[in-house]
Amino acid sequence: MRDRTLKYLLLVPAAVLVLGTTLWPLAVSFTTSFRDWRLTRSVTPGPFIGFEHYITAATDDPEFLNALTVTATFVLIDVTLTLVCALGLALLLRRAGVLQSLTRAVLILPFAVSPALVGISFRFMFNAEMGVFTWLAGAVFPPLQGVVWLGDRSAALLVLVFSDAWRWVPYMTLVVLGGLAALPREPEEAARMDGAREWQVLRDVTLPALLPVLAIVGILKTVFALKMFDQVVTLTGGGPGSSTVTLAYLVYSIAFRWYDMGYASAVAWILTAMLMGLAVWYTRLVLRKPDA
Amino acid sequence: MAAIDLHDLTKAWGNFTAVKRQSLAIRDGEFMVLLGPSGCGKTTTMRMIAGLEEPTSGDILIGGQRVNDLAPRERDIAMVFQSYGLYPHMTVADNIGYPMKLRGMGRAEREAAVRAAADKVELGAFLHRKPRELSGGQRQRVALARAIIRRPRAFLMDEPLSNLDAKLRVSTRAEIKHLQHELGVTTVYVTHDQIEAMTLAHRVAVMQGGEIRQLGTPEDIYDQPADLFVAGFIGSPAMNLLAGEIQDGRFTAPGGIAVAVRVAHRGAAVLGIRPEDLRVLPPGQGDVAAAIYTVELTGEATLVTADVGGARLSARADRGFRAGIGSAIGLALDTSRLSIFDPGTTLRIKDAP
Repeated sequence: MRDRTLKYLLLVPAAVLVLGTTLWPLAVSFTTSFRDWRLTRSVTPGPFIGFEHYITAATDDPEFLNALTVTATFVLIDVTLTLVCALGLALLLRRAGVLQSLTRAVLILPFAVSPALVGISFRFMFNAEMGVFTWLAGAVFPPLQGVVWLGDRSAALLVLVFSDAWRWVPYMTLVVLGGLAALPREPEEAARMDGAREWQVLRDVTLPALLPVLAIVGILKTVFALKMFDQVVTLTGGGPGSSTVTLAYLVYSIAFRWYDMGYASAVAWILTAMLMGLAVWYTRLVLRKPDA
Repeated sequence: MAAIDLHDLTKAWGNFTAVKRQSLAIRDGEFMVLLGPSGCGKTTTMRMIAGLEEPTSGDILIGGQRVNDLAPRERDIAMVFQSYGLYPHMTVADNIGYPMKLRGMGRAEREAAVRAAADKVELGAFLHRKPRELSGGQRQRVALARAIIRRPRAFLMDEPLSNLDAKLRVSTRAEIKHLQHELGVTTVYVTHDQIEAMTLAHRVAVMQGGEIRQLGTPEDIYDQPADLFVAGFIGSPAMNLLAGEIQDGRFTAPGGIAVAVRVAHRGAAVLGIRPEDLRVLPPGQGDVAAAIYTVELTGEATLVTADVGGARLSARADRGFRAGIGSAIGLALDTSRLSIFDPGTTLRIKDAP
């Protein structure tokens, strides 16, 4: 009996920590999303107004609609690009060799750079006058000379994708490499003996076996891409216009530039709901019993 | 179907040489077993024939054609792997039919071929299952069916029975032997199990340390092992090996062993005799007096381990033989079946003409 009490007692510190730092703020922001609370009018939360913020977001806010489109476009291109590049690099680095080992060793470096710094570096590289990429693109492909990368609506979003892919591809490559290393060698060799060319081995044997790992990489990258914020701040500032305003950046703008805490909480919770859905899916995939 | 010829085949990784300049001629339609302990180079040799491993030097010829530079798919040989190598996401039918799909065979024709191959290995009822829904023995039969669906020039089998339980191993072994006989396809079979080698092979290549120690029929390697390694490796329980010396046509060893031998050799020698060539007799009879160290019943025989002057000899006695540990017996050696080895070179010394 005493042991039973004790074990719950021992759980208390951890429970308090999670409650105080995660669940409580979440609950507060959740209730705030149903209240009218503009910091410009009052420092204390105002009255409950039901689903009004959510209805506004869904029906009557072009800013929100824009951020949703921008985020969806960003996620789609970013996740696809990251998956394809990570898979391709992992397949190239899979073979044993000195060059491969060296490359694998330095792969983690881009991931060690803070995302805010990635944004600042890319801002310099894509600078219209002195950016090294601007110069390189123009030198290699003359029609691109004089393009103001960060001044064009589509190009700016692509640069944002590029900066994020640059940061994530190496890390995801390592994850895929791990998945490849865990695959049994025999089915691939059997396919070669059966008469398959290398691309057929890849299509018919390797990729199907790698699918669970690719799914995990895809979901994880979607989660991180949905939360895209740092590089928006340091690279594009949401511009030009609002062509690179992601949902996370919109939440920040509503809360700390326009001081509408109630509406910001509502938009934040819409984003959180998407992330939670993905997190549940991810957990199911990871915790699923592997079939022999 | 084709003969396979290996010429001075070598495989080295850095300083480690897995296969050392080995040559081997495998005849058309022959069942060749590469036998040896782990790390002897047998699997490496097979993987070089398959094209999954590139030889460091030497040539591989299949049907007289040099295949060193051909990819595995261009060599037209089928392989059965130790862990089956099945495609886990495909059904049994798709697994078996994959080689034909790659060769562009139409769906209807392929289904008929799959059914024929599956029936040959009694898998007809499992075509729609996934490999994970099958037992180990069934999985290995899927791998066999996938190998026989196209008539390849040769089969390669890499320890195909080692993941099966003992009982299944015996029945699958018989099936493999029957299939090979029926199809008449040149087969290279790698194993560390001497029983598999003895029962399956037309000829066995016993390998150790990257070299073929002896090449011969199962009878040859059992009755006339070429060196001490082969003598000790083949047979269970192993051949008795006694160190002694030969003078004037007689082999003598401590413990009063003295037998006439038919070799011209003189000086230090090792005498080898198989347990079944030693007869257990009442005390006072036979060539040697011995004391029983232990007695083990195997069912079909009684294994007697006897102490002879500090050396232990095992003898296969009649299944009805019973005696207490420590009791005295006599042992008779079948002198027509003795092997004599040179302890310096470890090689067998041939009988004098």
